[in-house]
Amino acid sequence: MRRAATLLAALALAAPAQAQFNINLNRLLDAGKNVRQAAGEIDEKEEIELGGDVAARLLGAAPLVPNEALQTYVNRVGRWLASQTERPNLPWQFGVLDAPQVNAFATPGGHVFVTRGLLARMKNEAELAGVLAHEIAHVLKKHHLKAIQKNAQLELAGTALSFSRRAEDADKRAKLLAAGSELYLRGLDKSDELEADRLGVVIAARGGYDAYGLPAVLQTLQAMNPEDSGLALMFKTHPAPAERLDALERMQPVLDAHAAQPQLAERFVGAVSGR
Amino acid sequence: MKRFAAILLFVPALGFAEPATLVRDADLRASPASDAAVVAPLAVNAKVEALERRGGWTRVRAEGGTEGWVRMLVLRYAGTGEAKQGDSGIVQLLNVARTGTSGTQVTTGVRGLDPEQLKNARPNAAELKRMQGYRASPDAAAAFAGHGRLEPKKVAYPKEGG
Repeated sequence: MRRAATLLAALALAAPAQAQFNINLNRLLDAGKNVRQAAGEIDEKEEIELGGDVAARLLGAAPLVPNEALQTYVNRVGRWLASQTERPNLPWQFGVLDAPQVNAFATPGGHVFVTRGLLARMKNEAELAGVLAHEIAHVLKKHHLKAIQKNAQLELAGTALSFSRRAEDADKRAKLLAAGSELYLRGLDKSDELEADRLGVVIAARGGYDAYGLPAVLQTLQAMNPEDSGLALMFKTHPAPAERLDALERMQPVLDAHAAQPQLAERFVGAVSGR
Repeated sequence: MKRFAAILLFVPALGFAEPATLVRDADLRASPASDAAVVAPLAVNAKVEALERRGGWTRVRAEGGTEGWVRMLVLRYAGTGEAKQGDSGIVQLLNVARTGTSGTQVTTGVRGLDPEQLKNARPNAAELKRMQGYRASPDAAAAFAGHGRLEPKKVAYPKEGG
C-alpha cells in the first residue's frame, strides 16, 4: 500500500518531470551539437564565414588604404604564396589596412592583413612575402580557428549556453564573433607564432623569394624602440622579435639554401610609392 | 634618371649604419660566404655597426673600423629607437602615395589598431566586400611571379618537435 502510494506520487510527478527532462534534453542536445562544432566540426564554409566576420571587425577598426594598385599588388604576392601551400583553393584575400600601427593579421578561411605602418618599414617584396607567408601559415594550421573553438568550448562548459554557429540567433553569433575578436587582443599561443615563422620561411622559399625576408623584418622590429606605441599590440600578442630570431636559427639550412633568390626591392618600392 | 635615383636610394639593404651586438662568438669574414677568409674573430656581445644585408649575411663594421660579413642571425639590434621610421625613405613615399601631397597625412580620427580601438570596432561589411574585389586569381598571381622571375621551389616543412 505504501509502495502503491509511492508509485502514485511518482506518477503524479512524472508529467512535469518528463516535460522538464525534455527541455533539458533539448538544451543538452543543442549544446552537445555545438560542442561538437566547437570541437572541430566547423566545415570549410563555416570557417570562411567566421573569418569574414572577424575580418569585417578588423576593417571596422581600420579600413583599407584607398589605393587600388597597392591592394592589387599585395593580393598578387599573397595569392602566389598561397598557391604554393596545401590549401590553394581557399578564397585567399589580402588587404593593406590604413593604420599607422605595425602589425599583420590573419583570420580563418584565408583573410590576411598587413598594416600601412608595417609595410612602410619593409625594404623589398621578399620581406612582404615573409610576413604574408607567416600569416598564411596561421590559416593553413587553423591556429585562430582552433583557439576560437577552444574559447567557445570553455564558454559552453561554464554557462551551458548554446553557441550556434548558424545565423538564426544573431546574439549567439555575435558572442562567437566577440570571442574571435578578443583573440586578436590577446594573441595566440607562443608555439603557434613560432610555428608560423618556420612555415612562413618555407612558404616564401617555395614562392621563389629570398627566404631571409621574414628574419629581416624581425630584425627591423627588433631595432625599433619597444616603447613605440605603434608596436604595443603586436608586442603584446607575439613573442619578442629577438626570441623569434633565436627560434629561427634551426631554419638556417632552408634559409641558406634559398638566400640568393630574388628580393624584388624595385618592384616593391614602385608599388608602395605608387610609381 | 628619376627612376635611377630611386634605385640608388633603395639598393642598400639597411641603408644606414645601425648599432648591433653579437649573440655569440662569430667570425668576421671577407665576403658573405661560410668558406670566405676570416678577417677577425668576434666575441659574444661585441658591438658592431650593421651596414648592409646580402642573403643570410650582414656587412658590419667592428670596433676599430674593420669591416666584414657575419651571419645576420647572430645580430641583435639595440632597440633604442634609433632606427626610426623615415630612415629608409619608404615611409615618406607611402605618405605621398596616400595623400598625393608632401607627406602630411590625412588623419583617420579615432580609427586604428590600438587595443582600445580594436575592442570598440564595429564590423564594416562594405569594406570586406571591397577587399574581396581586389582578390587575385591564381593565374594572375602566377603571371606576376613570372614577371619577377620568381621560380617555385619544392621545399619541405621542418619536422615538428625536432
